[in-house]
Amino acid sequence: MELTKNITLGVYLPGKSKIHNLDPRTKILAVTLIIILLLLSRSYVAFAFSAIFIGALVIISGIPAGYALRGLKPMLPVLVIMWFFQLFLFKSPGATVYFNWWIFEATAAGLHMGNLIILRVLFLFIVTTFLTLTTSVVNLTDGLESLLKPLRMIGLPSQELVMTLVIALRFVLILAEELEKIMKAQMARGVAFDRGNFIQKTKKIFPVFLPLFIGAFKRAEELIVAMDARSYTGGKGRTKMKTLQMSNADFSAAAIMLIYSGIIITTIIFTPPMI
Amino acid sequence: MSLSVRKIVISGILGAIAILLGVTRLGFIPVPTPAGHATIMHIPVILGGVLEGPVVGLITGAIFGLFSFLQPGAPFFADPLVSIFPRLFIGVISYLVYYLSKRAIDLVSRPISSTSSKESGTLSRSNGSKYKLNMILPCLLAGAFGSATNTVLVLGMATWRGYLPPEVSISIGVLHGLPELILAAILTVVLVQGIQRVRPTEE
Repeated sequence: MELTKNITLGVYLPGKSKIHNLDPRTKILAVTLIIILLLLSRSYVAFAFSAIFIGALVIISGIPAGYALRGLKPMLPVLVIMWFFQLFLFKSPGATVYFNWWIFEATAAGLHMGNLIILRVLFLFIVTTFLTLTTSVVNLTDGLESLLKPLRMIGLPSQELVMTLVIALRFVLILAEELEKIMKAQMARGVAFDRGNFIQKTKKIFPVFLPLFIGAFKRAEELIVAMDARSYTGGKGRTKMKTLQMSNADFSAAAIMLIYSGIIITTIIFTPPMI
Repeated sequence: MSLSVRKIVISGILGAIAILLGVTRLGFIPVPTPAGHATIMHIPVILGGVLEGPVVGLITGAIFGLFSFLQPGAPFFADPLVSIFPRLFIGVISYLVYYLSKRAIDLVSRPISSTSSKESGTLSRSNGSKYKLNMILPCLLAGAFGSATNTVLVLGMATWRGYLPPEVSISIGVLHGLPELILAAILTVVLVQGIQRVRPTEE
């Protein structure tokens, strides 16, 4: 019953590595680029290059690999089920059939589709967790705000939207602690969350959800008062105590990202896709 | 266009709950079907639409979508067209259904209540059956339609993008969509009633 242990999203591990010290804008842009490249990759070679690159990043950042992967634990069973799901149900005409039983048919196309999708999920997970592990919330906010500023010109309240996203990330852990307390309190009253058929299990959501949502809304009201009391305004005329400054390290990082994108784009073009 | 502090904070916190339900797997309820679970992760989005209007519904939906794209619970969510795009509509549709059904009930019940509640005046609002119907039915409908929006659009996009064969989508839609719809409808009613009590003022 340790909910907070497996939550790595929105957690920041302070450090002094080269990656920690990069400008947040560099990191956000780099992660966005990596994600786009991952979505474009369809070959094993491209994923192999990405694996080496991302592995190197994790090593340089000094974050324990086990910690970076911990958040995956609750997802594993779903991933395995989905892999089998793709293997047996994804069909394309003319693909090699491995075996055939009733309506199930395992084909080469299904296998590759399963692999492709699982690889994408794993890499997306690791890359985004990596970003929040190496970047503090304040830096992440400043970076995103500065990057999204141009959206103001087309009338989007970009700073306010970033603030919303940051509140969401910040509150995941706080609400997780609250959730843990609620569940323990209900268990102390005799609710057995892991027992019963699915209707009984479903009924047990109510004594958890109601206090969770009401508690969250109470917190929200307090936060609204606190922000109003400090006259928060998101957008125009807001200045920063610390302004972001690009350094030489950021330019080298940009150069490395360019080389990496070059390699991945070349492999995407020249190596055979999985399916 | 600018957002009020209230909209920023409520969207953020509801987004946090959606993410929390995802990372703890609490938003997945085991049901006896092949894929193994129904989701209630979209409940915060429906609540955002019902309680705070379309803008909060839209932003909460975007956070929920962004999260399910970045930390996918099912592989086809690694495609933003499947994970983010459909989620933008959940809160907006919930709001529309809530607002319209509330208006419709008000219009229909006005002639009856105007004759019966003449003496009791404003008191009829708190103890008559009209009050209950007016509170419960819109939430029930908003929850159901919000959930249906999620099911139909996500599976529709997944099929259109070629991740799922149409017959699989339809069976998931029926096996998962229906329990999700019922659960979402009931939870919306219960949660809205509960949350209304801690909110400062109701206009």
